[in-house]
Amino acid sequence: MRRREYLVHLISALSDYILSDNPTRMVISLHQEEDGLHLSIMDDNEHSDEEIEKIEKDLNSDKRPELAGYYGAMTGQDLLGNSRLDLLGWQVKHSDVSRIDKGIKIDLWVGGERFQSSRFNIPDKK
Amino acid sequence: MVLFRMDRQHRILLVLILLIIVLLILTGMWIDGPRKVLTGFLDLQLHPARLINDFIEIRGTGAALLNGAIVGLIGLILVLINGVSLSGPTYAAIFTMIGFGLFGKTPLNIAPILFGVFLAGRYVRKKFSQYILIALYGTALGPLVSTLAFEIGLPYPAALMLAAAGGLAVGFLLPSIAVAMLHMHQGYNLYNIGLSCGFLGLFAASVIRAGGHTYSAALQWHSGNPLYLVLLVPVLSLLLIAAGFLEEKGKALRDFVSIQKLPGRLPSDFMEMQSVGGALINSGVIGLLGSVYIFMIGADFSGPIIGGLFTIIGFAAFGTHLRNSWSVLLGVFSSTLLFGMSPSSPGPALAAIFGTTLSPLAGQFGPVIGFIAGFIHLIMVSFTGPWHGAMNLYNNGFAGGLTATLIVAVIQWYNSTKAEL
Repeated sequence: MRRREYLVHLISALSDYILSDNPTRMVISLHQEEDGLHLSIMDDNEHSDEEIEKIEKDLNSDKRPELAGYYGAMTGQDLLGNSRLDLLGWQVKHSDVSRIDKGIKIDLWVGGERFQSSRFNIPDKK
Repeated sequence: MVLFRMDRQHRILLVLILLIIVLLILTGMWIDGPRKVLTGFLDLQLHPARLINDFIEIRGTGAALLNGAIVGLIGLILVLINGVSLSGPTYAAIFTMIGFGLFGKTPLNIAPILFGVFLAGRYVRKKFSQYILIALYGTALGPLVSTLAFEIGLPYPAALMLAAAGGLAVGFLLPSIAVAMLHMHQGYNLYNIGLSCGFLGLFAASVIRAGGHTYSAALQWHSGNPLYLVLLVPVLSLLLIAAGFLEEKGKALRDFVSIQKLPGRLPSDFMEMQSVGGALINSGVIGLLGSVYIFMIGADFSGPIIGGLFTIIGFAAFGTHLRNSWSVLLGVFSSTLLFGMSPSSPGPALAAIFGTTLSPLAGQFGPVIGFIAGFIHLIMVSFTGPWHGAMNLYNNGFAGGLTATLIVAVIQWYNSTKAEL
């Protein structure tokens, strides 16, 4: 899939999830390099600890190439039914969910084989 | 090497699947004796395979079980050597391959399709592991290969080359079609490759007809219910339930209950979403209840019926459970009676089992939608077979995909229009 199309699907999938709660504000930020990108999305809705934990789990699930290569094509395009962040989780290098002022921030790092994490500020989990 | 990199869960599934494959082979040898089984197995490779060719009726239970076991083993080997995890989707794929090895798939007719999908991956620089599910399920068009090789009347060298080319071609096209078809029903038809193979089969059957070939109807169906055929799936189901409890004990039962709350829409890996133990119990329960249904309506435990039960056992780890399937089954049953068909005749009996491809509709939108889906499904599947020359083994997946697309389109229109108001 071309990068532009892929980005559109990623943004669509994340936006669909955030918008399902009808936020007052939603901010999307993108940083692209040749071998990868960092996508960030923020909202101003209340989210419980359980929900944040579930988002983290879905977005950091084990990589499943057999699912990503086939069902991953539905990312951002399946708008009937509940949003499914696990479709994203199989395809991203890393993700992070954190509380901000009034809502949450979801960070996604996506890249190919030559992805260099040092070019992006992936948190160092010690 | 792959074995040592596996975690405990995957090793348990590997041992379980291998045990089932070996038990099927041994059961076949015990029923019919090694000589008859082996000669029958070889004969099956050269036999037409379109719907409905019941391999149990054609060459006996033993040969059919050996064929099914080897087809399933091929799937398992491909999963392992490509480093793909054993979990819901691959468990479902292997059980489906075993099941359809009783009435259509053979090692010979699936090989060109598998290679075709492999070539498609190479062409777009994707690893085979990313397309493996498409490849394994795509073997539903194995009868196309057998038809070209053994039915259209060409001399053997040309027929075999044409068969190989046909299998390669459909395998090559499958990844693109499979993704396109997913968008149509948005994951509400579990047997998406059935829809994809049906779509491709439309074109293939038309080309073959244009070449002058006339399809003759095929119905080879094993009747009579020897005890070993009646008990095959229930015994397997109990084994799966026992394995589920052994794996996770009391937690497995709680996970089984939690699975019932999931919609089941593609891709729902119950083994990952809950646990292996819970999914195995769900598998066993679905297998038992499916067997009870077949027994109660007085249908035959034929190759296709047993194959169907194997399939729903597999998909009980990847989308199907009690709560999302009962209304679909009721819809199929009601439709059968309303249109004056017998529930125990081949078409309706298979539709009842395979109609569970529409379980996600019930899981997401409720039992009324599930009932409607099952009702429509029975009507559609009664007519879609000839469209693809009966070369698509997943005819119920094809009809189910069309039904799901219709229902999804209506619901989506209603939801978006209502929002505007």
